[in-house]
Amino acid sequence: MSTDNVQPDVEDESSLLSLDTWDRIKHTERFIFLISVGFVLTFSYLFSRAPVVSDVTQGYHGLTITILIWSIFALGFNLLLGQTGLLSFGHAMFFGTASYATALFSIHVFNEPLTIVLVGVLSAIAIGAVAALILLRLHTVYFAIVALAIGQFLYFLASSPLEGITKGINGLTVSRTPLLGLIDLDHRYSGILGELFVNNSYLFVGAFFVAVVMFITRIRKSPYGLIFKAIRENETRASFVGLDVWRYKFVAFLLSGGIAGLAGSLLTLNKQLAIVDRLYWSISGDVVVMAVLGGLGTLAGPVIGAFVWFYFQGIVNGLPTLGDYWLLMLAVSFTAVVWAYPDGIWGMITSLTQELREPKTLAAKVKTRVAGGSSAEESDGGER
Amino acid sequence: MGSRTIHETANSVWFEVAGMTLDAAVGFVFIALSVASLYLLVAIGLSIVFGSLKYVNMAHGVLYLGGAYIGLLIASSEEYGGLLSEYGAIGLDLGFVAALILTPIIIFVLGVAMERFLAKPFYDRDLLDQLLVTFGVLIAAQELFAIVFGRTGTIYPRPDWLSGAISLPVIGTPPGLSAASTIRVLVVTLTLLLIAVIFAFFKYTDYGLAVRAGTEDSEMAEMLGIRVGRPFLLIFAIGAAYAGVAGVLGGSLFNVTNSIGMEIIIPSLVIVIMGGVGSLRGTVVGSLLAGLVFAVATVVEPSMTNASIYLLAIVVLTIRPSGIYPSAKIGQ
Repeated sequence: MSTDNVQPDVEDESSLLSLDTWDRIKHTERFIFLISVGFVLTFSYLFSRAPVVSDVTQGYHGLTITILIWSIFALGFNLLLGQTGLLSFGHAMFFGTASYATALFSIHVFNEPLTIVLVGVLSAIAIGAVAALILLRLHTVYFAIVALAIGQFLYFLASSPLEGITKGINGLTVSRTPLLGLIDLDHRYSGILGELFVNNSYLFVGAFFVAVVMFITRIRKSPYGLIFKAIRENETRASFVGLDVWRYKFVAFLLSGGIAGLAGSLLTLNKQLAIVDRLYWSISGDVVVMAVLGGLGTLAGPVIGAFVWFYFQGIVNGLPTLGDYWLLMLAVSFTAVVWAYPDGIWGMITSLTQELREPKTLAAKVKTRVAGGSSAEESDGGER
Repeated sequence: MGSRTIHETANSVWFEVAGMTLDAAVGFVFIALSVASLYLLVAIGLSIVFGSLKYVNMAHGVLYLGGAYIGLLIASSEEYGGLLSEYGAIGLDLGFVAALILTPIIIFVLGVAMERFLAKPFYDRDLLDQLLVTFGVLIAAQELFAIVFGRTGTIYPRPDWLSGAISLPVIGTPPGLSAASTIRVLVVTLTLLLIAVIFAFFKYTDYGLAVRAGTEDSEMAEMLGIRVGRPFLLIFAIGAAYAGVAGVLGGSLFNVTNSIGMEIIIPSLVIVIMGGVGSLRGTVVGSLLAGLVFAVATVVEPSMTNASIYLLAIVVLTIRPSGIYPSAKIGQ
């Protein structure tokens, strides 16, 4: 991934052999595992503590956890839109439901991080199973809008009739207990570990991030995941081949919802708060923007999208003058991406590296690089 | 501002005091109808464009939002936050009627521009691309309005003749209508008129016929020498103008903030789908049902008011996945 950009520069002198090897290994699961572990291990340090030229991102360790959580959410959303071709404008229903399930379970039943996260995921899957019965009879826009309607229904349900349970905009507070009764999530490391991860909370979320990335890679490479793709490409044909399309869509919907729910649970655990805003349509809208902006149907895309989103929301937002325009800039670039470049930022990076490999277009490349170099560098940072 | 709060409390007082008297019933009906009217005015444009052009337009919310702010600029002179905060009070101060007449004209032009620059390049693309791109435009536009006008809400100044119960020049307050506030009567009457116009347009004009033909089979219609592009543009812009009217009316019933575009477009889209895409009759029935459920909820279980429309849509679409009028042709 970042090596993806470095490699072509090396290639100029060396033989094509290295490139072939690279192409072979970069799609293996082991490589993706190593990359995602490496990403989690270095991300917080590189983003918020490494000695860099500008210090605008210094001290944003909390933001890195948020980015990891939202990356999980965007990856889950992408599983549905990018893989299966179903656009849901109501993914907040999973996020918010899991959020509340986590908080309510921890308050009323049993409070242990791993258990409450599991409860959150199960609740998201349960709500997904009910919603799927209504939604999966509908197509494209109908699916998207009715998903939005269900999400909004849950939002308004949680915000006023159920206010006694959900505490509305004030939210439910979740106290933090040790993981499995042994490991304190707030424990701050010192020395090199402190430099890298700061606390156990980061590692806890990071482990889930790696697990989700691996899970999705497994799906993408499995015959089961290929059927999702077949449905995306042509649903009618998939059913003619003899596949039970409804069943596969149902599973894709539940998987996507479960991963979105995982993100909701982790966020609740991390912020120690579950509020009604997590069910609002804007949550669904945000995750749509992230996944599409980063690049649909890819692994790196949603992660880049989440990074770019929070870079703008957390850091550009704080800048004088420019700060007011952060959402406008994101919305405009989102529109531009859908309009003209549906592959998103990750697609731009990969096509750029493809171009770099062609020696003949090297001269042309230099010109485009002058124009597009800054944005490419920024996105590269996003991926790391 | 004061008249608005008084007016709102007055409505709820009626329900509490009068029980099921005629006044309460009439007031109730007009709350239902005025809410239905607003949704209908926005949804009708969406429905026509979705039904005839196969274009799903979330950016329709921009037209409502724009209508509300343009109407506000015409009707009164207000101080805004955002970039306009330095300029003091801005606006033409021409009054409510002027806003109601001029806004649709401006939004009509905006609708023409939207059709040419936003919708047309996307007619042949995937429905999901259309949905995403117009969603992006809506978010960007709302953000732009927030930057220019600030994020705090503004309320339409309500002229005296619009507050309180309706009173006509000769006969005074019509019998039985004393509980219906003037603004709500105006909203309902105007909507009835505009809906009649759109139905007549489809039934009796050549342009309406061309739209119907183009919807049925645009290639065939073009082969017969009908330039379907023009009628489609016209019907798109008319739908836009209706959303502009809804912006002015909605702005004076509720308040005006930068997020109303999305707030109106979600229920409107839901209503269009609930009614059956492309069916004007379905959209009308869907809006009426939504208004009715909304009004029932305000009386029976006020906490369910906002959730009620979505619950209705979920129930309807569970029973009839293709909407109330599934296979109706455009113009019906």
